[in-house]
Amino acid sequence: MTTFVQLVVNGLGKGAVFALLALGFVVIFKATGVINFAHGSLVLIGGYLVAISVGALGFPAATAIGIAGAGLAALLIERLLVSRSRLADPNSLALLTIGVDVVVAEDIFRRLGTTVPYLGAPWDAHPVRLGNITLFSTQLVALVVGLVLITAFFLAFRFSDWGIAMRAQAENPEAAALMGIRRSRVTATAWLVAGMLAGVAVVFIVTQDFSGIGLSRTTHAIAFAAFPAAILGGLDSTAGAVVGGLVVGLVDALSAQYVSFDFAKVAVFLAMLVVLVARPSGLFGTREVTRV
Amino acid sequence: MMPRRATRRVAASAVALVAALILAGCSSKAAETGVGGGQVKSDVGVSADTITLGVLTDTSGPFRNLGTGITQGNELWVDQVNSAGGICGRQIKLDIADSGYKADVATTQYRQQQPTILGYLQLLGSPINAALRGNLETDKVTSLALSWSSFILDNPYQIIPGTTYDLEMINGLAHLQEQGMIADGDTVGHIYIGGEYGENGLRGSQYYAQQHGLNLQGVKVASTDTDMAGIVTGFRGAGVKAILLTTTPAQTASVLNANAALGLNVPVMGNNPVFDPATNLAGPAAATVDKLFVAASSVPYSSDVPQAQEVRKAFEAKYPDAQKNAGVPYGYAGGVVWQQILEKACQAGDMTRQGVHDAFIQSSSITTDDLVASKLDFSNAGSPPSRSVYIAQADPSQPGGLRQVRPPFTAPEAQSYVAPHQKQQ
Repeated sequence: MTTFVQLVVNGLGKGAVFALLALGFVVIFKATGVINFAHGSLVLIGGYLVAISVGALGFPAATAIGIAGAGLAALLIERLLVSRSRLADPNSLALLTIGVDVVVAEDIFRRLGTTVPYLGAPWDAHPVRLGNITLFSTQLVALVVGLVLITAFFLAFRFSDWGIAMRAQAENPEAAALMGIRRSRVTATAWLVAGMLAGVAVVFIVTQDFSGIGLSRTTHAIAFAAFPAAILGGLDSTAGAVVGGLVVGLVDALSAQYVSFDFAKVAVFLAMLVVLVARPSGLFGTREVTRV
Repeated sequence: MMPRRATRRVAASAVALVAALILAGCSSKAAETGVGGGQVKSDVGVSADTITLGVLTDTSGPFRNLGTGITQGNELWVDQVNSAGGICGRQIKLDIADSGYKADVATTQYRQQQPTILGYLQLLGSPINAALRGNLETDKVTSLALSWSSFILDNPYQIIPGTTYDLEMINGLAHLQEQGMIADGDTVGHIYIGGEYGENGLRGSQYYAQQHGLNLQGVKVASTDTDMAGIVTGFRGAGVKAILLTTTPAQTASVLNANAALGLNVPVMGNNPVFDPATNLAGPAAATVDKLFVAASSVPYSSDVPQAQEVRKAFEAKYPDAQKNAGVPYGYAGGVVWQQILEKACQAGDMTRQGVHDAFIQSSSITTDDLVASKLDFSNAGSPPSRSVYIAQADPSQPGGLRQVRPPFTAPEAQSYVAPHQKQQ
C-alpha cells in the first residue's frame, strides 16, 4: 500500500511539471492554431540563461532572467518568423517551428560543451517525509506554482481584455478583427507568455528530483514528453493541460510498476489514443462543429 | 573549335582523373607488404619511421567526458614512448576521430581511417563495436574495444583490455557480501539498459544470484530514460538490500537521489561506466553519491598505485584544465598494452596487420603496472582477459570523484564463471 501511495505521489508530482509544459503548448495553440514544436528549445534557452547567470546573481534573479529570456525568445520567433507568414496554414507554421527548434537546441548543446549544469534550485534533493511517504520538494513546489499559474490563466482568459480578445480570436478570427481586436498583439502576447512558461518549467525539470541530470539533451526530450499531455487534455483547454499532465504522470508511474517499465512509455500513448477515439478533441478540448 | 566552356570541362575531368589515379596509387602502395627499417615486415600503418594507430572515440556524444579522458591518456602514452625513442625505431602517430557514439558516423570515419592505420588503440562504444565488427575482421584491424561486454569476445580482432561487465558485477556483489551489506537469500534490484552493455551486466548478477540464492529483481530501461524514482519506489516495496546498476551516469544520479529521498539508503553497486564526475558530482547530485560503489578493472583517477600517480602528474602538467576521470589512466594503460604487443611483433620481425594480430592472440601475460587490475591474457579466445576488479567508492573530495577502497581481487564466483563464448575446459 505504501508503494502504491508513493507511486501516486510521484506520478502527481511529475504530472505537475508536465502540466506546466502542456500549458505552454495550449496558450499558443489557443491563440493562433499553431502547434509550437519549438517549445523544447524555449525550455533550453531559459535553462541556459539561468545556468550562466546563477553563479553571479543567485537563483531568484537568474530564474527571472531565464523566464524573461525564454519569453523574449518566443516573442522573437513570433515577430520575425510567424507573424510574417500571416496567411500561412497553421500546419506549415508548425513545421517552421520544428526547424527553429533544431537550430536553437543544437546551438545550446554546442555552447554547453561537456558541461551538464544544474540551475541551483534551492528545493532540489530536499525531500519532505510524511511517515513512509516521501514528497519530492521539486514536485511539491511545481504543483503549487502550477496551480497558481493555472488559476491565474483561468481567470485571465475569463475576465481580462486580453483573455477575452484571445478567446474571440480563437472562436472567429474575422469577426474578432472586425470588432477591432488587434490580432498581432494577441498572438505576440500568447507567444511571450508561452515562452515564459517554458522558462518556469525548466527550473523544475533540471533537478535531481525530476530528471537526475543537469541541462542537457534530456531536458529537451522531457519537454516533448509533455506533448501527449496537451493532446490528451485538449489542445485548446487550459484545464485540459492540467488534467492531461496529471493523467500522463500517473499512468506513467503506475504502469511502470504494475505492468513493466517498458510498457509505461506505450501506456501514455495508449491512454492518449483511447481518449482521442472517445473524444477527438481531447478531454476538455472544444468540439469542432462543422456544418455539412 | 571546341567552345571555351567545353574545353574547361574536359580539362577539369582530366585533372580529376589524374588526381584519382594518384590517390589510387597511394593507397595501393600503402597496402603493399614491404621490408623497412631493420628488416621488419610491414604493410598498413607502418612506415620506416612511423607507426600510425587509430583512435575512434566519443568527444561529442553521451560518453564525451570518458572518451576525452581516454584519448588524453592515449596521448600521454604516445608522448612518453616517442620521447624515449619510439617502438621498433619508429615514432607513434595517432589518427584521432570522433564518432559522437553514433554507429553511422563511426562507419564513415572507419572507412577514412582504415587504409592508413595499423590497428585501433581505442575503439569506444558498444554500438560502434557492433557496427564495425565485420569490417575489423575482413580488414584484419586489431582493435582495443572499449566495450566491456563478453558477448563480443568471439571476434578475435576486438580485444577487451580488462574485465568484462558480467565479471565486474559478480565481483561487485561478492564485495557487498563480504562487507556484510547483503546476505544469501536477500532481495537485490538490478537496473540495466537493454542491449549488450546492460544484458552483459545482468548475466553476471544472475550468475551470482543463482550461486547465493538471491532474489534478483531486474528492471530493463532504455539509455534515454531518466527518472528512476518509480523503479526505486518499487524496490523499496520489495525490500531490496542493495541496488545494482548497469546504466548511464544520469540514471545513476536519479537512482542515488531516490535512494536517499525515499529513505531506502541501501548500497548501490555499478559497472565501470555508471559514474561520470561531470554528472554525478554536479550540484545536488554530490550530496547523495556516497552510497555508490563501482567495480572496474581500471584504477580510479586518484588511485595510490605508483604508475597511476605518474600518469596523474603528467596529465595535470599537459592538460591543467581538463576534467579528471578514470578514463585517463585507462587510456594510458591501453597504450602500454599496445606497446608490449608492438615490441613482440617487432622482435618477431613482422609488423604487418597479421603479424601484430598474431602477437596479440599469443600474449598471455600483458602487464600494465597495475593500471588494470590483473595481468591480461589474450590467448584464450572467448575468455575475458582479466577476472579481477578494483572497488571504488564515490567521494566528491577526491580528484576524479572515486576513492579506491579495495586493492584488486578476484572473487571465487568470478573464477568459476563461464563467459558466453568461453571454451569449457
